[in-house]
Amino acid sequence: MSAAATAQGPAQSPRGTTFTAATLLVPILLINAIGFMLPVANLAVISVSEIRSSGAMTGGWSIAKWTTVATDPFYWELLANTVRTSLIVTILTLIVSYPIALCLHRMNGAWKSILLVLVISPLLLSSVVRTYGWIAILSDRGLVNSALAALGAQEPFRLMFNLTGVMIGLTEILMPYMILALLAGFGRLDPRVEEAAATLGAPPYRVFWRVVLPLSLPGVALGSLLTFVLAISSFITPKLLGGGRVFLLATEVYDQAIVTLDWPLAATLSIIVLVVFGLALAVYTRILRQIG
Amino acid sequence: MPAEDHVSPVTKHNADETAAPDRFLSLQALTKRYGDTAAVDAVDLDVRKGEFLAMLGPSGCGKTTTLRMIAGLVPTTAGQIVVDGRDLTNVPPYQRDMGLVFQSYALFPHMSVAANVAFGLEMRGMAKADIRARVAEALQLVRLTGYEDRRPGQLSGGQQQRVALARALVIRPLILLLDEPLSNLDAKLREEMRNEIRDIQRRLGTTALFVTHDQDEALTMADRVVVMNKGRIEQTGTPEDLYERPRTAFVAAFVGRTNRFPGTGAGEVVHVGGVTMRCARPVSGPVEVMIRPHRIHLDGSGERRADDNHASGTIIRTTYAGNVVQYDVQAGDTVFNVEQSTDATGALVSVGTAVTLSWSVANTLVFEAAP
Ligand SMILES: Nc1ncnc2c1ncn2[C@@H]1O[C@H](COP(=O)(O)OP(=O)(O)OP(=O)(O)O)[C@@H](O)[C@H]1O
Ligand SMILES: [Mg+2]
Repeated sequence: MSAAATAQGPAQSPRGTTFTAATLLVPILLINAIGFMLPVANLAVISVSEIRSSGAMTGGWSIAKWTTVATDPFYWELLANTVRTSLIVTILTLIVSYPIALCLHRMNGAWKSILLVLVISPLLLSSVVRTYGWIAILSDRGLVNSALAALGAQEPFRLMFNLTGVMIGLTEILMPYMILALLAGFGRLDPRVEEAAATLGAPPYRVFWRVVLPLSLPGVALGSLLTFVLAISSFITPKLLGGGRVFLLATEVYDQAIVTLDWPLAATLSIIVLVVFGLALAVYTRILRQIG
Repeated sequence: MPAEDHVSPVTKHNADETAAPDRFLSLQALTKRYGDTAAVDAVDLDVRKGEFLAMLGPSGCGKTTTLRMIAGLVPTTAGQIVVDGRDLTNVPPYQRDMGLVFQSYALFPHMSVAANVAFGLEMRGMAKADIRARVAEALQLVRLTGYEDRRPGQLSGGQQQRVALARALVIRPLILLLDEPLSNLDAKLREEMRNEIRDIQRRLGTTALFVTHDQDEALTMADRVVVMNKGRIEQTGTPEDLYERPRTAFVAAFVGRTNRFPGTGAGEVVHVGGVTMRCARPVSGPVEVMIRPHRIHLDGSGERRADDNHASGTIIRTTYAGNVVQYDVQAGDTVFNVEQSTDATGALVSVGTAVTLSWSVANTLVFEAAP
């Protein structure tokens, strides 16, 4: 009765569907406009504003920051450094998260829920707290080096206040996101298909390479995009574990905006980060189209 | 052991299995337990080379589990799987050379049709040119030439089924295992695929094990049928054996439609709710009587013999189904279901008419009542 009513109702006609969809999109469009488009436009304006050495804006315009960024090799290196670090962190996160996600995907029942909660629970803690946790583990007198010293190591390994520490910390902090994205992308995995491969003569490692991995690529792509973007924009962990010796775009934006009070430069660098995001998204879309 | 001299010295110790051509596949006390319940309970079964065997049984009787144990996908709890004299019980699935066709097809969604079919050959390290030739041959066999570059998602259910069949056959498997391969197809396509699978299997001489819970499928396709119930084999035999000479009440009721009456045996006769009938063997105590609806004649129809069983009753319902008419006939306290084939000139007998039913003693199947 109700099915018949809706089947003939306006909501089912093509035009009606489009209209409903558009209506449903209004809230997110509004949020996007107010929370994203507007600030970005504002950033663009700030990046070409003129300032005094005190940081106060004169009200005039200047493209000085853009020319500085374009011509000073420091910023090019900063960009390269940031992209490289984020890529390495993404790959490390993927490698450690993939087996966990696959294992979780294969489980069922109570254990799956318990372990899933365990995987997500780090997200309940602020990354400041987790980074301090890593300091306790990685410092010269920390857990790792104490253990190594007890085993007879003469010199402590420098695991902190350098890029190594930043990468270790970021990898762990980004793992939950990666695992969730992988799980979301594992929908095409089908145990029957793996069994079919086995009966056709594929030993387990070939089943993995020929069937499991290709079918999980959408998850890998999604997780990598998410992790890469989060790695680029993270600044607490690089700041604390880098000890002021690791320079990345996000930490530089923070320093320029809060310490040096050079807002136009901070805005310029922010826009560059945004461009990197856009490029990452474009790459992701291309990859997805290729494997889809 | 007439074939003794063909047996090589290496397999001599297994001469029993290799020598007998009717034991190409041999399941010996095959058992699978999940916790306390046995999904498959001490199944013994021998399959001849080139035979098309159907496994028939209600849902949950252990058909799939048996098939998956043969394929090596489910570890056995006890018992042995011997193929061509070789004990495969503990051999991993990728070394068994079984061709398994899944109910859900389980095609590789990220590969083209050709790549799907080629997969098994690639795993065997075959040369590219040979693979191409064998894939083309297999696709021709299932009439899918021209679909090489499609993805499984771009095929109809029937076409996907044929790709799955080609993929399993192209490796020239020891045994073709089919787990309800037709249950996702519509009725017309199912009939078509039945014949197609049967033809291909005959042409290639492949030994095939076909799992189904559809008795029509089992009876029309198989050389022999195994009826399973609750993890055990109830009866193994030709379709005719099962239909005409069921050994248990379960088989009689499961294979084909039948009237099923509780009765009391008294030597050569049984009493069923006010009707007394003769049966082929002497029985006593509580029994179950089964008579196929289309073996009961209404009034004068069909040949009559002097020693036929009879019952008088009244028609209480008439159902016209095109090729047959089904009558419900109240005789004493019993309602008989009677089926008569239709005829362009024949008139339906209407409700309320008094009729006489007759059926032969041979068609009066009697079983001990289940305790
Ligand atoms: N992994 C499992 N764990 C526990 N019990 C199982 C498992 N797999 C199957 N069973 C049980 O074993 C019995 C046989 O199952 P099986 O799948 O072999 O039945 P089937 O004959 O193929 O039925 P259907 O016609 O519904 O496919 C069922 O009672 C089922 O509940
Ligand atoms: Mg089944």
